[in-house]
Amino acid sequence: MSRAVLIAMLGCLGAVAVGGDKRAAGAEVPGGEDGQWSMPSKDYAATRYSGLTGITPQNAGSLHPVWTFSTGVLGGHEGQPLVVGDTMYVVTPWPNVLYAFDLTREGYPLRWKYRPDVSANAIGISCCDAVNRGAFYADGKIIYNLLDGHTVAVEANSGRELWNTQIADLGNGETTTMAPLVVKDRVIVGASGGEFGIYGWVKGLDLKSGRTVWTARNIGPDKDMLARAGTFKPPYDSGVDLGARSWANDSWQTGGAPVWGSISYDPQLDLIYYGTGNASPYNPEQRLGDNKWSASVLARRPQDGTLVWAYQFTPHDNWDYDAAGAMILADLTVAGKRTRALVHFDKNGFAYTLDRATGRLLIAAAFAPVTWAKSVDLVSGRPVLDPAKQTGASRGNVKGICPSLEGGVSPSSPAAYSPRTHLFYTSTNNLCMDYAATRSSRLKGTPFMGVTSPYFAGPGGNLGTFMAWDAATGRKIWENKEPYPNWSGALVTAGDVAFYGTLDGWFKSVDARTGRVLSKFKVGSGIVGNPITYRGPDGRQYVAVYAGFGGDWAMLSGDVRSDDPADVRPPADFLKDIARHTSLGGMIWIFGL
Amino acid sequence: MRQMRGVRAPSLLTWLLACLALASCGRHAAAPSPQAGAPPPAIRYEAHLAAGGIAPAGAAPSNPHQGDRAVANSGALLFTAMNCDGCHGGDGSGWVGPNLADGRWRYGGADAEVFNSIYYGRPKGMPAFGGALGAEGVWTLVTYIRSLPVPGDVPTESWVQP
Repeated sequence: MSRAVLIAMLGCLGAVAVGGDKRAAGAEVPGGEDGQWSMPSKDYAATRYSGLTGITPQNAGSLHPVWTFSTGVLGGHEGQPLVVGDTMYVVTPWPNVLYAFDLTREGYPLRWKYRPDVSANAIGISCCDAVNRGAFYADGKIIYNLLDGHTVAVEANSGRELWNTQIADLGNGETTTMAPLVVKDRVIVGASGGEFGIYGWVKGLDLKSGRTVWTARNIGPDKDMLARAGTFKPPYDSGVDLGARSWANDSWQTGGAPVWGSISYDPQLDLIYYGTGNASPYNPEQRLGDNKWSASVLARRPQDGTLVWAYQFTPHDNWDYDAAGAMILADLTVAGKRTRALVHFDKNGFAYTLDRATGRLLIAAAFAPVTWAKSVDLVSGRPVLDPAKQTGASRGNVKGICPSLEGGVSPSSPAAYSPRTHLFYTSTNNLCMDYAATRSSRLKGTPFMGVTSPYFAGPGGNLGTFMAWDAATGRKIWENKEPYPNWSGALVTAGDVAFYGTLDGWFKSVDARTGRVLSKFKVGSGIVGNPITYRGPDGRQYVAVYAGFGGDWAMLSGDVRSDDPADVRPPADFLKDIARHTSLGGMIWIFGL
Repeated sequence: MRQMRGVRAPSLLTWLLACLALASCGRHAAAPSPQAGAPPPAIRYEAHLAAGGIAPAGAAPSNPHQGDRAVANSGALLFTAMNCDGCHGGDGSGWVGPNLADGRWRYGGADAEVFNSIYYGRPKGMPAFGGALGAEGVWTLVTYIRSLPVPGDVPTESWVQP
């Protein structure tokens, strides 16, 4: 039997396994690679690691585009495609079209496309571009969020809408950009709106019907948070109603704490993990106290939403340091001890390694320039603040805060973890800011912010990097400097090749052990999406990524736009020439050997 | 609603017709048949609906505060207080909403046209502030926005040294 036939047969076996929930832990099982990409982050552990070995440092130099397709949509193409069996599924930014491509036929023609009825008003309620962070495949359904506060389930075979549930309220400033997570018969979803003063939440929907089974607030009184006595055990706090008592004057009611990244899941512990965004408004003097559990990671039971533990990365967020980014689950050897770890790269510039059973902090080390805090105290779990970098309307313009509010890394740019190299791979931003907070008034459905925050380059002058990180020791292993803020997610494979894209539109493969660039190709627009890899029907390994400049950058550097003659903007002063290298677009690119 | 000063407000009839037209073209509404008493064709004109129900031609109001610096300064405060800056950026230079200081306009830059955009809202998420602010508040904002310094309209951005 030839190797190719064997691989094809294994591929079929993998495809047969689809539909069960058991393949969830596939990436942690050697040889368990099914060659698909059926969840936003590849697996429940959110590793963005594929066991495919076809592309190696030896042959990656010959990677080249084999197919492209315009989505017909402008706007930041964050998120990633799915590949299930021999079909690729692509969700666009608003108006959230879902495409299903037939990978068995020349030119990958569509099997179907689904165009939901989604409100245009959502564009103005979405703080920072009308993005979507991807779909989830489960039980023969493609499940994703529409920007206007609806979750839909579409039959994967036919494109037929199975259910469409309103989960969020545009009128209250809620939009839905995050990628859902499906565990057994629950669909877990959350809402964006940290810039609109929402009362942040996650919900558990019924997979069959779309009905909302439970709603859990991320802030507020215990009963709203589904925090039950004897069950909720935060590692560094005790007492009741922490999510309400840590907000002066009941400011939790409009305190934000949105959920706009992705969610991970540990089947053994039966816990979902997700991060919450910033506290609202940006002026911290309007919400004195720790503001729990904004800028935190929360662990819940997927079935009924019960809160089990929570840890706050940035108490009393003064700097818009959302913790909405990925929580990556990996079993690491920390200080000689095998540990069920959770690893998170925060906007605040620290990379955290936690015990994911308890939420207790093991390691916190800066991965980007940090000035707001000196360190994180491992005994109390709290940052050691620099008092000179505290902000607020009474403090005027506070200068020289690193990272900027774009984050040491954006929560839109999830990291990857290789169990082979034991390293994490992530984009970073090398930006600092001044922060002048002002008093803000909440008017439902309008922004609730109150800050002016110009950016400038951090040390070195390059505005971004792509780097490898050892989360068992809190050390940077290598980094590639990039001229622009780096805003793509990461991918790493068992071939020991890592992949990422750049804001000016280069798609790169690098040696996962050294960072050496193996290939690069200039795609049609800046990359803010996350690369994936899969085994095609021909048995070969492919890599797919969106090109489509956007997210915050479409607003910060408005001169990249060419679509509206009635809206002409100057270049961003810290990013003067990005429009020389890219403009808006929306393309799917597939690379092969 | 506040007293409208020096403004010919859209009549109640116009309002009702606009509301009717909107209702009949809701997301899931069937196409109205003539027998069902469809609104007059002029009101159902697509652009009017998209604009959230716009005043009919000929009803162009005039800005009672045109060019008044003091009112423009009040408008700057209102621009922040009503969170306009959250979408259009500080000094109106653009964020998720368009730049208001580039001298270019999607829906027209005359005072009355800017008034309509704020009072009635616009597609893709511009809320209607007429109810919250009344005509006087909207004119105050218009006066501020029209006072923003507009750079010379240079359609070229070049990276080549001459």
